[in-house]
Amino acid sequence: MPKVIAIHSYRGGTGKSNLTANLATMVAQQGYRVGVVDTDLPSPGIHNIFGLEPEMMTKTLNSYLWGEAELADAAYDVSKSLDIAGAGQLFLVPSSCKANDIARVLKDGYDVRLLNDGFRQLVKTLELDYLFIDTHPGLSKETFLTIAISHCLLLIVRPDKQDYQGTAVTLDVARQLNVRHVQLVINKALSSVEPQALRQKVEETYSVPVAGLFPLSEDIVQLASEGVFCARYPKHPITQEFQAVARRIME
Amino acid sequence: MTNTGELKAFADSITAATSPFRNYLSDLHRKYLPLTDGAVADYIPELALADPSWFGVAVATVDGQVFDVGDCDRTFTIQSISKAFVYGLALEDNGRDYVNSKVGVEPTGEAFNAIVLDETTNRPYNPMVNAGAIATADLIKGKDGTERLKRMLDMFRRYTGRDHDINVPVFLSEKSTGNRNRAIAYLMLNFGMVGDRIDETLDLYFQQCSILVNARDLSLMAATLANGGVNPITGDRALDQRYVQDVVSIMLTCGMYDSSGDWAYRVGMPAKSGVGGGITAVSPGKLGIGTFSPPLDAKGNSLRGIQVCQQLSQEFGLHPFNVAAPPKDLATWIKGGEGLDSW
Repeated sequence: MPKVIAIHSYRGGTGKSNLTANLATMVAQQGYRVGVVDTDLPSPGIHNIFGLEPEMMTKTLNSYLWGEAELADAAYDVSKSLDIAGAGQLFLVPSSCKANDIARVLKDGYDVRLLNDGFRQLVKTLELDYLFIDTHPGLSKETFLTIAISHCLLLIVRPDKQDYQGTAVTLDVARQLNVRHVQLVINKALSSVEPQALRQKVEETYSVPVAGLFPLSEDIVQLASEGVFCARYPKHPITQEFQAVARRIME
Repeated sequence: MTNTGELKAFADSITAATSPFRNYLSDLHRKYLPLTDGAVADYIPELALADPSWFGVAVATVDGQVFDVGDCDRTFTIQSISKAFVYGLALEDNGRDYVNSKVGVEPTGEAFNAIVLDETTNRPYNPMVNAGAIATADLIKGKDGTERLKRMLDMFRRYTGRDHDINVPVFLSEKSTGNRNRAIAYLMLNFGMVGDRIDETLDLYFQQCSILVNARDLSLMAATLANGGVNPITGDRALDQRYVQDVVSIMLTCGMYDSSGDWAYRVGMPAKSGVGGGITAVSPGKLGIGTFSPPLDAKGNSLRGIQVCQQLSQEFGLHPFNVAAPPKDLATWIKGGEGLDSW
């Protein structure tokens, strides 16, 4: 049974795309067939992390939503550059980063139910074991739908007041949508805060388990959006924390 | 409505879009879309314009949940499907005894447009053949054609929850080519089975067939009947509950033209089809199905629609006489469950 994992956060800049790319890579390295869909139509970006150049993206998620292609036609095999050996494979479905295409999505909108149909068809066609969905921040029809179809929802939270409130709202929505497995990931934690205490406090506040805790890291910031961190630095402590999160979603 | 009410309503619409049951319908749609058999009705030019690839499937439950895939917003003319619902209005206007004295309830082996009446009573055989439908339209009350049409349109609004219009080119075409129906009407006038405002009634009949609906509307019309005459979303009563069984039983015995017997055996859900490509099917107490696909079989029923209704009936045990446990449990598929994988 394929597993759908949505990665979401209430606010932007929390590191959704980075977490998505690293988790997807690690799961694929375990020998699984993995898909990643960038549903952040207004501000796509994860293709940069996987090194997929816009010129190579002849078909995108947009093409599918406009009825011009099947979703699988817009899936690019990005396994090669990521040391994925054996049976594992990683496919990325990007969103178009052309200004015209983004404008068209914003102007005309689309039937969000197409996302549901497209994801299912993609999983079938590419025989995926895991599907990761990178989302647009905040709450919208798209994010509601993505949250509703996910078997596992990872919510990224930054330890500050705005994000705490927004995360509470998002959790209310997830409960209303009957999502069964929700886990939090804390990102950009300040080094002055004791990690174990922070983890405990967040778990108590939301009654939701914390799957991972990442410090505010210059290493990641330096590499941000240029390559998948865990593939470049397999021994780094941050990679080990990514591994811990990957294990929990594969449970 | 409170804030939580808004959230719940929106969340419900999203979970309907992602429910395993909608995924099932989506697969069904994909399965039957490639069918290329059958032919689009072409007895008037307007109907021949239909694209054979148009295909919509909608299911509305008696709880008011609607699941739809494909072309469910595209409108088409209701055609003969109107006959079942107008029959309900005639019953409300005149009572059962009077309506029974004017129109029979017996299936006929004759073609739907046959010029034939019951020899002993001079009644048309049933309200689903053209003769019976014209006699039924004659029974709709109102001071003039406009008021009678308005009462019909109001009735359809109570079933679907939205306003309906007439497709004027289809109406005019039906009217200008409707000599056979005119002949049937005058034959009934001869026997005193219809009143003498015959041209007004014929116009009304052609207009009722030209009402624009979509597959979603058809699912709600059937769901309203399944729900005892009350629209499950708006809560409006569309049909007096005493007459729900009248309408639904006529659909069972006469709703699918000449293949009503075969349909009752294989599908079982009381249903009505139209040459515009629509089918509305009732699963009492459970749900209503609306399908739209213009290519018709030799009997005049939508080919893809038949396949969809048959598969839904078999897999979810929607045949009213089914007592065996169906392969799939409807409630589980609608609600979703831990062990259920529709991916």
